[in-house]
Amino acid sequence: MAGFRLIELAKPFLPLLPEVELPYEKIGFDDKVVYTIIAALIYVFGQFPLVGMAKAPVEEVSSPVLDPIYFLRGAFAAEPKTLLEFGIFPVVSSALVMQVLAGLKLVKVNFKVRQDRELFQSCTKLFSILQYFVLANVFIFSGYYGSDLTVFQIALLNVQLVLAGFFVTLLVEVIDKGYGFTSGSMAITAVTIATNFVGDVFGVNQLPVDSEGHTEAQGAVINLLQSMRSSHKSFLGGIVGAFNRDYLPNLTTTLLVVVLAAAVCLLNNFRVELAIRSTRTRGVNNVYPIRLLYIGGLSVLFSYVILFYIHIAAFVLVQLVAGNDPSSVIYKIVGGYASSNNLLYVPQFPLSLLTPPKSVWDCVTRQPLTPMTFTTFLVLTGAWFANLWQRISGSSARDISAQFKEQGITLTGHREQGISKELEKIVPVASTTGAAVLAVLVAVGELLGLKGKGASIILGVSCGFSLLELITVEYQQSGGQSALTQVLGVSGA
Amino acid sequence: MAKSGNQIEKLAEAPVEFVKDGSAFIQKCKKPNSKDFTKIVRAVGIGFLAVGVIGYAIKLVHIPIRYLIV
Amino acid sequence: MSTPTPPGGHRTLQKRRQAQSAKEKQQKQSPASTRQAGFGGSSNSVLKLYTDEANGLRVDPLVVLFLAVGFIFSVVALHVVAKVTGKLF
Repeated sequence: MAGFRLIELAKPFLPLLPEVELPYEKIGFDDKVVYTIIAALIYVFGQFPLVGMAKAPVEEVSSPVLDPIYFLRGAFAAEPKTLLEFGIFPVVSSALVMQVLAGLKLVKVNFKVRQDRELFQSCTKLFSILQYFVLANVFIFSGYYGSDLTVFQIALLNVQLVLAGFFVTLLVEVIDKGYGFTSGSMAITAVTIATNFVGDVFGVNQLPVDSEGHTEAQGAVINLLQSMRSSHKSFLGGIVGAFNRDYLPNLTTTLLVVVLAAAVCLLNNFRVELAIRSTRTRGVNNVYPIRLLYIGGLSVLFSYVILFYIHIAAFVLVQLVAGNDPSSVIYKIVGGYASSNNLLYVPQFPLSLLTPPKSVWDCVTRQPLTPMTFTTFLVLTGAWFANLWQRISGSSARDISAQFKEQGITLTGHREQGISKELEKIVPVASTTGAAVLAVLVAVGELLGLKGKGASIILGVSCGFSLLELITVEYQQSGGQSALTQVLGVSGA
Repeated sequence: MAKSGNQIEKLAEAPVEFVKDGSAFIQKCKKPNSKDFTKIVRAVGIGFLAVGVIGYAIKLVHIPIRYLIV
Repeated sequence: MSTPTPPGGHRTLQKRRQAQSAKEKQQKQSPASTRQAGFGGSSNSVLKLYTDEANGLRVDPLVVLFLAVGFIFSVVALHVVAKVTGKLF
């Protein structure tokens, strides 16, 4: 028992950490649907403005601190200046980081022992709450919520942000523990991304766009309809504006997003089908599909977790340490921030190398190197993670062949010993290739100036697919007896 | 010297190998035909929009509340 | 000891098999994730965090949902308080 074990750190906190009870009996299909949707809707409802931000309008401050991670928000369902400032990033990142560390055996956990698993899980939870706390204070002390906050305001903001994070963690836990469909973080991501998408396309809420008090609808389609008959714009100008306004979602980005979503649908159905047959009964032949996107959207999620860490670290260095001062050494080495529209903090060179540009035009004129570096970064991290994940997640070639053995299945034309080897030729290639292809897709979307929407739609659709697969399995297991489907009149398709 | 040169060569070969393997794999993949594809896109689209509309309806509740308090 | 065993043959095969099974056993004994150990958890395309019920403050899921909603409404209430009392903050 030599050596220090990280998970032991969680021990003193155990009595304090709330722990959602495991269900006493199996939750029915309908109940799961309700739990999942309600938990996700509570999350969406939580995107509510914070209390205690400085009241002074942004224009009055000479150099306000703006949003440095705007392009990462979509992927983590985060809304600026709301309770969910960081979305589910801390939850997802702590889960990924801990599981990767355990997979690399950097954190010593014996998953066979129940106590170790519990400690590991509590450790993940603690880590995520800790991240909420740290991130909240980084943002508070950077001046993001106003430059001269009173102690009371700081405390209030802290309480709100950390408590919100705490509840997000618990909501995820409720779904994970079996009350909802398997993965809380992915269900919440998918629902929020779908919500944002609908808001961007059909959103009817009016937002002020200029100082004269004109408003435009958030949704791109609604905006098109409105500007066709608006009084202060010409008919043609309205249509052109609907396609290229850059302050709110426009039709061009919407179309791009739809194309990306369709591309993910297409890729998701690329698969290699292995012929299998039962060893117990003769003549039962079937196929076992191995998808190109073997690990789904997780590789993109991982790449974005790394990106988030890089950008937060840069933000701490540039804003907290150097005060975003162009003459400081840190600014010169890391790159600083330039404000845009009084809304966003756009990272400058060299930090801009890992920042998707705001538009295609920006990409060509101001960040000519970014396409190279950003794409390479996404592909490398994605492929590395894919290779690791397929090995550690319990779905590697060896695990599948063990499953086959248990169920009395064998690959047609292979001996039992050969199964593992044959799968070994396919699974790692599938997962890394899939991750690389998905990374390229994300990069293309982002480089066209989608400001995080590209990554988020790709994540949303791929998360949706992963969940859908599990949901259909459960639906079939429940024997198709669902009151909900009868009410909705959906017949499986 | 020869060894390090070899290693660099190997390092340079890795991405090429990766791309080769990957494209071979994609070639081997079974692709959905256009009929299947439209079916999938429609199903996913409807599901995605339905969930999104519910979520957006919740978000709309925020608007009057924001008006009240700001 | 006295007569060296000839290379190859039955023995070597046996040794290889033993080594192989020992290796497999070892890999089985130190699974890299909850799922590999056979207790659910993240799978190839799904990220799952919580599988076991650890010791701690047991809470019912419904309580969590209600508390979460309550928390959001308390923030709304705070907004109202802040507005009514003017420049409290």
